[in-house]
Amino acid sequence: MEFIEELKLGLYQTFILDNNYQYFLKGIGITLLVTVFALILGMILGVLVAIIRSAHDQQPEKKKGIVLRILNGICKVYLTVIRGTPMLVQLLIMWFVIWASARSTDANMIRCAILSFGINSGAYVAEIVRSGIMSIDKGQMEAGRSLGLNYAATMRFVIIPQAIKNILPALGNELITLLKETSVVTVIGLKDLTKGAMIIQSKTYQAFVPYIAIAVIYLVMVLFLSWVLGKLERRMRQSDLR
Amino acid sequence: MIYVKGLTKSFGDNLVISNVDMHIRPGEKVVIVGPSGSGKSTFLRCLNLLEQPTGGTITFDGQEITAPGVDVNLIRRHMGMVFQHFNLFANLTVKQNIMLAPVQLKIKTKEEAEAEAMRLLKLVNLEEKADDYPARLSGGQKQRIAIVRSLAMNPEVMLFDEPTSALDPEMVGEVLELMKRLADDGMTMVVVTHEMGFAREVGTRVVFMDEGVIKEENTPKEFFDHPQDPRLQDFLSKVL
Repeated sequence: MEFIEELKLGLYQTFILDNNYQYFLKGIGITLLVTVFALILGMILGVLVAIIRSAHDQQPEKKKGIVLRILNGICKVYLTVIRGTPMLVQLLIMWFVIWASARSTDANMIRCAILSFGINSGAYVAEIVRSGIMSIDKGQMEAGRSLGLNYAATMRFVIIPQAIKNILPALGNELITLLKETSVVTVIGLKDLTKGAMIIQSKTYQAFVPYIAIAVIYLVMVLFLSWVLGKLERRMRQSDLR
Repeated sequence: MIYVKGLTKSFGDNLVISNVDMHIRPGEKVVIVGPSGSGKSTFLRCLNLLEQPTGGTITFDGQEITAPGVDVNLIRRHMGMVFQHFNLFANLTVKQNIMLAPVQLKIKTKEEAEAEAMRLLKLVNLEEKADDYPARLSGGQKQRIAIVRSLAMNPEVMLFDEPTSALDPEMVGEVLELMKRLADDGMTMVVVTHEMGFAREVGTRVVFMDEGVIKEENTPKEFFDHPQDPRLQDFLSKVL
């Protein structure tokens, strides 16, 4: 009975007192905002890097231009550095070193977070997309080229669509990881969902309800994402139906 | 139409084709036979530069296509190629497979390409498959559509790289029949195959390749009835 009473108090203080539920709502907004834009940035970066890397690896030695070699070198350094250092450290460097002069406004922090997570996610997406491109039978590229289509057109209309379909589960995984990992933006002071729970804890000395609440909220968001991805995957599998 | 002079191709230290000359005239049906590893597929793939020759020249319609700075994409528009493993685009329907290149290269409008695709599909009795994906087709159907996909570009010459080798025996006939019809229509063809019956019946010239060189070439009748080269005699005694 005592537990029930405590839970009631916890719920009251966490959600109703001082309109505390606002912290969760705004937090969800910021978490989603950072995730969605970081995802877009990560996808663009990732696909670009993957195309450069696989174009480099697929061209015969003699035909590689100097530009392609340099771009490939840059991509390799990017992948090594980003995948070789912790996300948290990258975020701290981005905010306290690179953007040291920026004022601590929400807008600045959101931009910084999107950039950091986008750049980070791009490195993982790049390797996922590259594995997808490499998994496509080389006869598909040859067939495209033999019809007179150039490398870029064959990539765009034949290889990439098939690659995306094959890597959708891995990309979904990356998206889910990204969504959850945005919780580390609390270290630069951005009021995301996790920070909301921490603020409520410091105001009310309640820990159980706020942290369980955000755990459930993260879980629901992930479940929703998995559901959407599952639908997408089934739609893209259409061409495999016999 | 195609002049090949001193064509050489090596992969690293491995010399696959050495100093091959060949002249393919318009309307000819050249059939290349030989044991596996003889370089016949590589030779065919050099003709449309899917493999970059290590040495020698290839001239197509008066243009040296092995010269540096030549736009291979423009050359390939006029050379259709059919592969052993069909290589239909798995993410596109049959109709989209046929329409992709003509539309993207702005040779035809979407409507023209679609009409042409349906006409070609009717030709091979597969018009009801127009909106199916390749995964739903049999091997023979896939290969017939692959041939038709090349035809949609109105090529001057068609290259066939063992078009029936990956097919179930009962499906070989339908593909060979389509190739015969193409031949009868006057298409210039270069065919790498193990189908000796096809070589004898359709070929205007049969070429025997072994160890990267042309050991013998002749009219089908002479080639099969009076082979000169001992390696060819041995080869024919095994396959016929």
